[in-house]
Amino acid sequence: MIAARRLAALALASAAALPAPAAAQCDGPGRKVESERLVVVYRTVPAKVAVGQHFAVEARVCAKGAGAAPTALRVDADMPAHRHGMNYRAKVSAKGDGRYVAEGLLFHMPGRWRFVFDVDAGGRTERLAADLDLE
Amino acid sequence: MRAALAVALAAALAVALAAAAAHGNGPVAFEPAEVRRIVGHGPWPQPVLPDRSNRVAGDAQAIALGRRLFFDPRLSANGAIACSTCHVPSLAWTDGRTRANGLAALDRNTPSVVNAGLGRWFGWDGGADTIWAQGLRAMLDPREMGASPALVAGAIRGDEALACLHDAAFGAGAVRRDDRQVMVDASKAIAAFVATQTSGRTPFDDFRDALGRGDRAAAARYPAAAQRGARIFVGKGNCSVCHFGPAFTNGEFHDVGVPYLLPGGRVDEGRHGGIKRLRADPFNLLGTYSDDASGASATRTRHVEMQHANFGQFKVPSLRNVALTAPYMHDGRFATLSDVVRHYSELDMERIHAHGEQLLRPLRLTPGESADLVAFLESLSDPRGREEPGALRPVEGCGR
Repeated sequence: MIAARRLAALALASAAALPAPAAAQCDGPGRKVESERLVVVYRTVPAKVAVGQHFAVEARVCAKGAGAAPTALRVDADMPAHRHGMNYRAKVSAKGDGRYVAEGLLFHMPGRWRFVFDVDAGGRTERLAADLDLE
Repeated sequence: MRAALAVALAAALAVALAAAAAHGNGPVAFEPAEVRRIVGHGPWPQPVLPDRSNRVAGDAQAIALGRRLFFDPRLSANGAIACSTCHVPSLAWTDGRTRANGLAALDRNTPSVVNAGLGRWFGWDGGADTIWAQGLRAMLDPREMGASPALVAGAIRGDEALACLHDAAFGAGAVRRDDRQVMVDASKAIAAFVATQTSGRTPFDDFRDALGRGDRAAAARYPAAAQRGARIFVGKGNCSVCHFGPAFTNGEFHDVGVPYLLPGGRVDEGRHGGIKRLRADPFNLLGTYSDDASGASATRTRHVEMQHANFGQFKVPSLRNVALTAPYMHDGRFATLSDVVRHYSELDMERIHAHGEQLLRPLRLTPGESADLVAFLESLSDPRGREEPGALRPVEGCGR
């Protein structure tokens, strides 16, 4: 479901113009989710997500080691247990230096949500995910 | 013989006790997670934040104008239908009908306007993103009030007191602006009035507050059946997932297995049609009539996504005052709360346009559980929810 949509949420940043930072630069505050090649550090704004309230996600994407620099990020979320996503489409803006802001997210139910970060790097798209429990 | 009788009596008592434990006859010993969920349905009342798209939200003069316009049938094409024709104060601001009747018969039940100020989307399909845009829809829809900008503006300009109030609310000379602007401003005044209509405290709120502060004696005054119903509501019933928070709604849209086929082979698209209408609406929050220069209040409209699953979805209604607002569902098909509970208990999964979503399942409630859930729902209503609004106060300098 998530893969089938979200093209409009694509934020492109030229790898040549804006080289993504190395993983060490993703050690700042926020929650971290990583794969073999990539690190995403993110935080929500406001920090406490409430059911039915719009929020944003600030993220920084880094390559590990000599891995290919990330060039784009898409942000979405769903409730795997319910098999549905959000009713809103996040708009992602590239801020340079591997930083992105996703705006317009809204979780409309309590329960376990999953943030989904699709990162384009080295001609591939890699998906990283992180859970958030909402009461 | 006596021993056999005693054994039989003990067995019968054990069965009765087991049944009582299962169904429960006394106050419920809630688990901490249940207490947290119940407490999450408050506190009440909630503050109504001013609508930034409406520059007269919260303004006393606009509220006074809006109140007069709400009850004024001159805003309709035949001069006989006011907002209050369908939103009747003595009927908890609904009309008590299965489906609404304006200039023509409509396909949906009239929702109450009470607590609208806490909403994000308006109408069963959420086709409006503000109260004032929803009001304009009702004014202009040929099946509802069938008005036009010229008719609304003319009705205000032609009444000295209304014209005076209009200028008092929107500034000197405002009533002489173009017809469309006067009509939009009139709807914003009505919205300012509607946003003042909030429901009062209920027996549930007293119970919720007592539970939250650990006051067992006060909590025990809440009927035991309603307590058991509350447990079902936040537990087995999973009701609070959608009927979330203090207003008992998450403000969004779901398909709950209520048919959307209409007479004559028509279909009520629900939220799918609502998003189409929202995007085509010149009065939406992205349009020029919004007073929110920051655009912040338009976040929902900017980011809402049309999905195939929206087809046949309708807004999750607030359950505040639910016992006062029969009949139920978007098409008013259920006359009683028992009917609604039975619907969820015996849910026909074939009717749900779920797209793989796994949220609703038949609850398979026992008759006792169904009665308890109804008792809980009945406790969500304001005992004063059918009172008429207080007397009109004259606005200084405007004659009435």
